[in-house]
Amino acid sequence: MAEQILLIDDDLEHSDALKTYLERLQYDVTLAATFDEVFHYLENAAWDIVLGNLLMDEKTAECVMRITGSKHYTQMIAYGSEIRLNQAMDRFGLKVVEYLLLPLNSKALALSLKRAKKINFQMRKNYRYVERLTDLHNAQNQFNQLFDAVPCYITVQDKNLRITAMNSRFEQHFGNHIGGHCYKIYKHRTSQCDKCPVVQTFQDGKTHSTEEIVTSISGKQYNVLTQTAPIKNRKGDITQVMEISTNITQIRQLQDHLTSLGLMLGSMSHGVKGMLTALDGGVYQLETGLNQKDELRVFKAFGQVKMMTDKIKKMVLEILYYAKSRELQYTTMEISAVVASVVNSIKPVALRSNVDFVVSVPDNPGEMEVDPSWMEAALINFLENAVDACAFDREKSEHQVTLAVTSSKNDTICFEITDNGIGMDQETREKMFTLFFTSKGSQGTGLGLFIAHRVICQHGGTVDVTSEQKQGSVFTINLPRKRPTHLTSNGLPPAIP
Amino acid sequence: MKKRILIVDDDPNILDYLEALFKDNGYDAYTARDAKEGLKMAMEHKPDLVTLDIEMPGDWGPRFYRQMIQEKSLKNVPVIVISGLSGNVHAIPKAIASIKKPFDREKLLGIVKDAIG
Repeated sequence: MAEQILLIDDDLEHSDALKTYLERLQYDVTLAATFDEVFHYLENAAWDIVLGNLLMDEKTAECVMRITGSKHYTQMIAYGSEIRLNQAMDRFGLKVVEYLLLPLNSKALALSLKRAKKINFQMRKNYRYVERLTDLHNAQNQFNQLFDAVPCYITVQDKNLRITAMNSRFEQHFGNHIGGHCYKIYKHRTSQCDKCPVVQTFQDGKTHSTEEIVTSISGKQYNVLTQTAPIKNRKGDITQVMEISTNITQIRQLQDHLTSLGLMLGSMSHGVKGMLTALDGGVYQLETGLNQKDELRVFKAFGQVKMMTDKIKKMVLEILYYAKSRELQYTTMEISAVVASVVNSIKPVALRSNVDFVVSVPDNPGEMEVDPSWMEAALINFLENAVDACAFDREKSEHQVTLAVTSSKNDTICFEITDNGIGMDQETREKMFTLFFTSKGSQGTGLGLFIAHRVICQHGGTVDVTSEQKQGSVFTINLPRKRPTHLTSNGLPPAIP
Repeated sequence: MKKRILIVDDDPNILDYLEALFKDNGYDAYTARDAKEGLKMAMEHKPDLVTLDIEMPGDWGPRFYRQMIQEKSLKNVPVIVISGLSGNVHAIPKAIASIKKPFDREKLLGIVKDAIG
């Protein structure tokens, strides 16, 4: 396309001749002979070159100065008498590329125009580069912002599963580990995980996803949904893989909770029905006993009503505990006081089932930090379980449950509960701490040991069980004297070694 | 002569309750806490009616029933299923009635009376 030239000159004869000459040189020329014309053309069109007597009059000079100064590419060439040119140089300085003396030398003019054209071209090019650089810079900023703002953990990994880039959320929760191995940082493993989605993506270039449990620097565990995407170079080879992990811990927790609440309603009802029937029985016998003035029957019936209300109360409390897991209220307790309270509750139960209950506590067991109400409830639960195991056993004539408290190394307290009841088969042993698992048929709710175990774990303790069918069971409960400092995301501390 | 009822249930509280209920209403009642004991009692006392809980540890309610009806003298003894499970009708197809815990005692006594007088 031909260069657009605005020719400013009030000497019409001269400008006409010049226009003809320029058009022969393939320029597209527009004439402006008055200030109004100059103003109009400069305002309404973009010119490659403004050529002419720029000091035609004062207003024109000002207009040229203002408008061309604001347009990036317009190049100016001035011509005039020696005096005029001098004035123009003072006025425009470097803004004008060439000052030509009248009469014009045609070669000089042609060269000046070419030079102006070249400068114009260079300036356009520069401007385009600047624009692109700005765009690039903005894009990179935006990319970084997105990378950091995405509510996911993002890492970029090389073929050795080393992290080469990470977003700020990852850095916050897992630390800055550029160059570290993914499996080490996320999972504290020493070798790569089975079915690593990053490895799979390196192999087939497709997106893969898994659900994982990872551990943050604060020791919290998170459930994450991990997805991968390949990063390719120009040739299309996969050089790195991006791994995006979304924290779904809350969703999983809620889901677990809802699932088990639903499950609870279904499976609890059976136990509740048994208890209600037994309560009916107690009330019936109390009523008929009173009518018949049968004191023995009344006494027995009252005992049964009391026992059933206790059982129902306990179960309702367990359900409440499960429906709303509350935080533990730690207090420093004398261990002997905890044991005394537990013994008081369990003695009558053992007596009723004709089970001998033996307790051994060292002289000065000391103190421990516990939530007394839950810790006692948990220990009572284990002991009741031991008594029940004896009560169900019809093969031995004498039954005994022992509670032995010992203070062991590492500042832990050990509660060992031994019974010579029916014992457990392997299935029962494996599932006994599972929610709603019960071996007691209609008399169990499947909540007791689940909650007791959970309470011990919440205190940072462990429960070990050995059991032999028809011989009995030993529950060994190890508890730290001090409350645990780290808690995992599900409210449970990492178990003590 | 009093009619004899055998109660089979793993929950001692419920055994107590049913035993008292039947005795108060003019029956002789015997209790058993599992299948083995139940069969022994059935052979010994030749009951006129059996109440049976079907969901007990080891799931031996139905098994008890199958073993009982193999015994000629016990084959036609009417059985009432008393269970906490809903939908227990099919567990013992020949049961004369199936009632759910917690049960209405008048209703239970009515069924017993209709069956054995």
